[in-house]
Amino acid sequence: MSKPDFEQFLKESLEQTKEVAPKRDLWPGIERAIVTQGNQQKQPGSFWPKLTGIAACTVAGLLAWQVVVKQPQQNSMADISAFFEQQKQSLLVQYESQPALTSNWQEQLQELENAEQAVKVALQNDPENAALLRMLAQVYQQQLDLINKVHEPRWQQI
Amino acid sequence: MLIDANQALSDKEQKPIDELILRVQQGDQSAFEQLYRKHEKRVYGLCLRLLASPEYAEDVTQEVFVQLWNKISQFQGQSQFSTWLHSVTSNIAISYLRKHKNWLQKVVSIEGSGMDEQTSSMCEGLNGLDKLVVRLPERARLVFVLHAVEGYRHEEIASMLDMAVGSSKSQYHRARQLLQEWYDNE
Repeated sequence: MSKPDFEQFLKESLEQTKEVAPKRDLWPGIERAIVTQGNQQKQPGSFWPKLTGIAACTVAGLLAWQVVVKQPQQNSMADISAFFEQQKQSLLVQYESQPALTSNWQEQLQELENAEQAVKVALQNDPENAALLRMLAQVYQQQLDLINKVHEPRWQQI
Repeated sequence: MLIDANQALSDKEQKPIDELILRVQQGDQSAFEQLYRKHEKRVYGLCLRLLASPEYAEDVTQEVFVQLWNKISQFQGQSQFSTWLHSVTSNIAISYLRKHKNWLQKVVSIEGSGMDEQTSSMCEGLNGLDKLVVRLPERARLVFVLHAVEGYRHEEIASMLDMAVGSSKSQYHRARQLLQEWYDNE
């Protein structure tokens, strides 16, 4: 049987069901979140989590502002690395007293740091290579995401 | 105008949904679970197409329903519930993508990419077109999904994505070209 032309394929596909089932049941996380919210609203002394949340958002906002407005021209390995190290250390200090959600996050961080070193070695031979610089930034981003993710008590992870 | 996602529902099906919504608005959590079960697949499907990541799509689906629980009192029935829900979902997904733009994308304004061919082909539950859609670059993908799948006008998309109407049209054209190229080469 011959393949339908693109227009036909598009038309038929768009008419098909738009439903896709998630791989896991997402309801328990949603239920936990709405129950937790309800409990927090009932407790008069529960303003600290909110305050911490606001503080974390402010820090994130300042970081974004610093990245986008104050540092628009970063493009060398040294610039990116210096800026990243500063962000990483601030996050680690910020989360120092908070328990992590997983016990092996430091191993995961070490793996990412190993990847960072491998990309840096490659960059020493080809410092202007845009693909390598992008890869380095992605590894840095993954490190920041990991540190944030294991320290933020997010209901999605429940 | 947004295509009414509930248009296929008969009056018979619509009535129980209205009753369910009323119960949820009164704080009935079991009714909310029923509402979730009724809509989860469509919401998750929309999230997956927009975000091109099963992990992000799961996060946003949960966020949508948590926000829905908080905001359902605002739903006054002027539009179909599923139309309203899809609009809430699209906005939350777009704002999630903005928040999760990676570090380098923020610094040098690089556009986010879609899934690679191998990952998309392994993604469960997606039809042939969806498997191609999730490979599109971010802006082309968002515009294509909102316009072709969800039925938004380019003017609405331009406002949602903070871009010019002309850009929305050209991204749509770009998306179609890429989809056709990939389809023809399959």
